[in-house]
Amino acid sequence: MFSSLFNLVFSAYEQFIYLPLFIEIAIVFIYIAVFATVIAYSVILYKRWKAYVEEKRLAFISPKIEQMITEQVLLNENLERLPVEEIEFDRAALDDPAFKHKWVRQAIIDIIIQYRRNFRGEVGELLRKLYIDMDLGKESFDKLKNIRWEIQIKALTELTKMDITISDVTILPLTNSLKPELRAAARNAYVQLSKNEPFKFFDIATEPLLPWDQLELFKIITTTKEISIPNFSRWVSYSDNKSIVSFCLKLIAHYDQQSAIPAVMGLLNNKDHMFRADAINCLGKLSAEQSESKLIEIYNTQPLICQLEILKAIGRIASGRHLEFLKNEFLYSYNFDIRMNAARSLIRHNTPISRAMVQEMLETSEEEAKLIIKHCQNPLIK
Amino acid sequence: MATILIIEDDDIMLKAIRNILTKSGYEVLTAKDGKEAFELLDNKEYDVVITDLMMPYANGLEVVSRLRSDATKRHVSIIVVSSVGNEETITEAFRLGADDYLKKPIMAGELLIRIKKLLDNRAASSAKLVTKKK
Repeated sequence: MFSSLFNLVFSAYEQFIYLPLFIEIAIVFIYIAVFATVIAYSVILYKRWKAYVEEKRLAFISPKIEQMITEQVLLNENLERLPVEEIEFDRAALDDPAFKHKWVRQAIIDIIIQYRRNFRGEVGELLRKLYIDMDLGKESFDKLKNIRWEIQIKALTELTKMDITISDVTILPLTNSLKPELRAAARNAYVQLSKNEPFKFFDIATEPLLPWDQLELFKIITTTKEISIPNFSRWVSYSDNKSIVSFCLKLIAHYDQQSAIPAVMGLLNNKDHMFRADAINCLGKLSAEQSESKLIEIYNTQPLICQLEILKAIGRIASGRHLEFLKNEFLYSYNFDIRMNAARSLIRHNTPISRAMVQEMLETSEEEAKLIIKHCQNPLIK
Repeated sequence: MATILIIEDDDIMLKAIRNILTKSGYEVLTAKDGKEAFELLDNKEYDVVITDLMMPYANGLEVVSRLRSDATKRHVSIIVVSSVGNEETITEAFRLGADDYLKKPIMAGELLIRIKKLLDNRAASSAKLVTKKK
């Protein structure tokens, strides 16, 4: 049989090599296409079958899990009588043989998380106790060791949702992972779980904090309760990671950390102009009056982006000492953005002197300047 | 025994609230979306309606609005339970006539107290009305 198969293949090959080249190429492509299609369909079918089996299994086990949670947590008689730590679950219900399988334990974790999303207070705490008492944390920690980053992210999400502390040795390396998604998830988890030093990972961060991650982290930091906020100037002065410094500047401005002004001013001499622009923006938001003269001093040597930030910062600080400077920039600059920002900052001062200055310019300037001023005076245009 | 209608598209939340309220002695009916809720509201009288905001067919605000615009159901107490926490939505819910607003995740005890308070207020105001008529 083997020799007849070999003869068949050999004769096919002999016929193939005597065919014209373009026919040979066409045949090769047909075989590749057919093979790829068969593979693709097989993968799709396999995945659909797997999802179907999983759905069936879940449909079977979910009611049992929900009933257990309802009895042990929601309708627990001790909930009104005892503190959550002292409530004991019915071990027989928790040790049900059906709850021993790995996939069932995963389903329990998912359902507990769903409940925690809907309930806080004593019920939320009791759900956490159930997770701990059923030793489900072990499943999550096992997943954290998995080599697939999607599974590691799932583990981080589970532990964060259940408010389970992860040791620094485990989580800190993940905050520097080369995979941006895992890195972001680990950083978010670290901020939420570490109550004493939630920003420790800033010290060791070598990978950049991407703009989207900054946004997400900012939301977590500003919405997480009982988070200890450090003085972010520490990283502004010492961190080598540009994205961390840039993020810290935003946090300094958000938390109005006035004590960070000297460290932020130190960045005005930095070689990176984007860095300088961020620092100037931060100084403006902090209304750092002591930085005003320095900003005016460096103004002419700066690129456009920094000049615009300086104009904005002077408007935010609004000390009234540099109205003439703003007026000159508005009247004599050739750059439209500079004129616009100078006018805006002038109007922002909103003092009798600045108002008189704006009025005078409205009366004496040419048509374009008047249009710019009127545009900037409109409170509906930001 | 007060009758409560829960309108919630999240199956787990629906069952959980139903269990908690049943345990506390209320008669509870459930609807998974606005359409189902309207059918139940047409067929029975309720003391309290607990509704989510984001639901298929008709959202919670539509439910609140419909209850308040119907003279026969205007007296029903409405509690909105939602994960939507922005000021405009909460204000809109109250403007349309919701009596209370709970943001998810909720506290089970708090929900029970608020229901009790609404029912007590209703009983007190109807007692006042009877005295006035007399």
